[in-house]
Amino acid sequence: MISTWSATTWKRSPHVPDRAPFTEVLVGFARELRGAGVTVGTGDVLTYCQATATLDPTDLVDVYWAGRATLVSKPDDITGYNEAFRRYFLAEGAAAAGVLTLRASAAMEAEAAAFVMPATDPPSADTDEEPAVLGWMASDVDALKHRSFAACTPAELAALRKIMARLRLTPPRRRTRRTRPAPAGRSPDLRKTIRDSMRMHGEPAQLYFRQRKTKLRPLILILDVSGSMADYSRHLLQFAHTARHAAAKVEVFCFGTRLTRITRMLEHRRPDSALEQAAQAVVDWDGGTRIGQSLDTFIRRFGRSGLCRSGVVVICSDGLDRGDPGQLAAVMERLSRLCYRIVWLNPHKGDNPHFRPTTLGMMVAAPHIDLLLSGHDLASLEQLAAMLPLLN
Amino acid sequence: MEYPTTVSDLTRHLREGGYLADRGLATALVVSLSLRRPVLLEGEVGVGKTEVAKVLASVFGRRLIRLQCYEGIDTNQALYEWDYARQMLQIRALSEHQVTDEQAVDRLFGPKLLLERPLLEAVRAGDEAVLLIDEIDRADDEFEAFLLEVLSDFQISIPEVGTIKADTAPAVILTSNRTRELHDALRRRCLYHWIGYPSQEREVEIVLVREPGAAEQLTRKVVGAVHRLRELDLAKPPGVAETIDWVRTLGFLGETDLTAESAGDTLGAVIKDRDDLDLVRDNLEEITSRA
Repeated sequence: MISTWSATTWKRSPHVPDRAPFTEVLVGFARELRGAGVTVGTGDVLTYCQATATLDPTDLVDVYWAGRATLVSKPDDITGYNEAFRRYFLAEGAAAAGVLTLRASAAMEAEAAAFVMPATDPPSADTDEEPAVLGWMASDVDALKHRSFAACTPAELAALRKIMARLRLTPPRRRTRRTRPAPAGRSPDLRKTIRDSMRMHGEPAQLYFRQRKTKLRPLILILDVSGSMADYSRHLLQFAHTARHAAAKVEVFCFGTRLTRITRMLEHRRPDSALEQAAQAVVDWDGGTRIGQSLDTFIRRFGRSGLCRSGVVVICSDGLDRGDPGQLAAVMERLSRLCYRIVWLNPHKGDNPHFRPTTLGMMVAAPHIDLLLSGHDLASLEQLAAMLPLLN
Repeated sequence: MEYPTTVSDLTRHLREGGYLADRGLATALVVSLSLRRPVLLEGEVGVGKTEVAKVLASVFGRRLIRLQCYEGIDTNQALYEWDYARQMLQIRALSEHQVTDEQAVDRLFGPKLLLERPLLEAVRAGDEAVLLIDEIDRADDEFEAFLLEVLSDFQISIPEVGTIKADTAPAVILTSNRTRELHDALRRRCLYHWIGYPSQEREVEIVLVREPGAAEQLTRKVVGAVHRLRELDLAKPPGVAETIDWVRTLGFLGETDLTAESAGDTLGAVIKDRDDLDLVRDNLEEITSRA
């Protein structure tokens, strides 16, 4: 319905000459795009039509680029756009073929045949999850606060979850460069002072101040979801949800042998099913855990462009790395330079205060860890929630 | 000079200004200039996002107004600010009798005491200017939200003065390095174009246009080596700007060929990260010989 409406509006629009058959083609293409999962608003379609009108609408290359500029607004959508374009304009028996031949000359058809999709696609930001066949078994045993998550019945897990939903994972704050009015502060609020002095016949009777605002640091969870760790990691995910309520920026990644960003998945799904999906995508059961390599991917694809800058990175893993310890040492050092603090949750630490890491991975990573906690039961997660805001 | 209305004209003009725009970029710019919509350019570092605005301004005789974004940028730095010190002095200088005078107060908030910042300057200049909002991803969410208003209407309200509106909106180019995701609302108000790395032949062409003195043989070798570098798993892959720098550096040193030795001496022009340097030094022979 929407597209019909925009089509008629466009015809009435004074900027654009009446080329009704083309409008229908373009609007039809927008519909095709929506079908391909690209968000296209009616306003965008209008701009698209105007844009093609300023160009040469019989030139398919123009039609392509006009659409790229007006209908696509994120690099992630470019692939979808290309596919839809190919389907709609270039495929044999394509929806638009009839109208196009009606309007366009033979020369144009020749060009359409020779039309090469430009290869400027940016690297896609997220690895698509390929469904792998594997089972997901929740462990079952039982107890409360001090019982390890790996040893709870589903009913008790549900109870724990209710308690956890009330815990708040609040990262520490940092001062921003933005200021706000304050009763006292370092810098005077000249604007307010002057405005106020107008009332006093130009006498600056009172001095007002501004103070720098503070803001929650971003929180990045990097969770090991390989077999032995999955039970612990999924409880941290619960935390990720509550942390978002605290208006903090939260990013969540999972790894086994590969790294997957699941922040977007978490927006729509329950944490459990998101984690399950992620685990299916990232874990290759025979491969074991590759912490070094996964963190390296994290730094290259996300950390380098500033995702964890000034943030707190929480890594939940037992440190059983199958990869090269040299690589893990290098990436941990790099990560510690990129982010503000690194918290490592190792469930094997348990309640032992004199825990010394024994796995090679943990030993290599230890010098760069600011806070090592266990995270194996509710009490230790409470401890994490309590320590996190104080990480300064 | 009026902006051209066809893609080929614009491409030609930009080329005369020393900028090779591909079909996609040129189309986005033509549409943006004729519909007066801002265009958002994203892409890897050093592929010429900022440069295109500079060239656009110089070729068509417009004034380039640049707003460099940074965290915490606010209206005082982006829009306008009153010259508070002068205001204060002027108030002190007025006698009691004059304060009640309308004109004295008007002068206090007159154009003389209004400090124009880039956005206000651009709205005033209208079509005379090209507004470059550089590295918008560095600004924070609050500023982005504020920018929405300016970009959609091109009008600015100053409480003491009134509303200032552009007769014709200036050409606006926003650039982002994707260090964070921009809000959809901002994206929707802009045309969008992703600038990728150019192909090998095209990059040679670009370098020769920017650096007319460069030897073609050497340029080809350097571009080949840079393309090889981009295939390596580097933390900071070199952009086109680095290629140009490298050719320039080699030319300055009087090198006529890219050998493992000359490349090793000038590697600082392309590789800007220590880990990358180690990786590249180990493969230098292969990189320069294959090129």
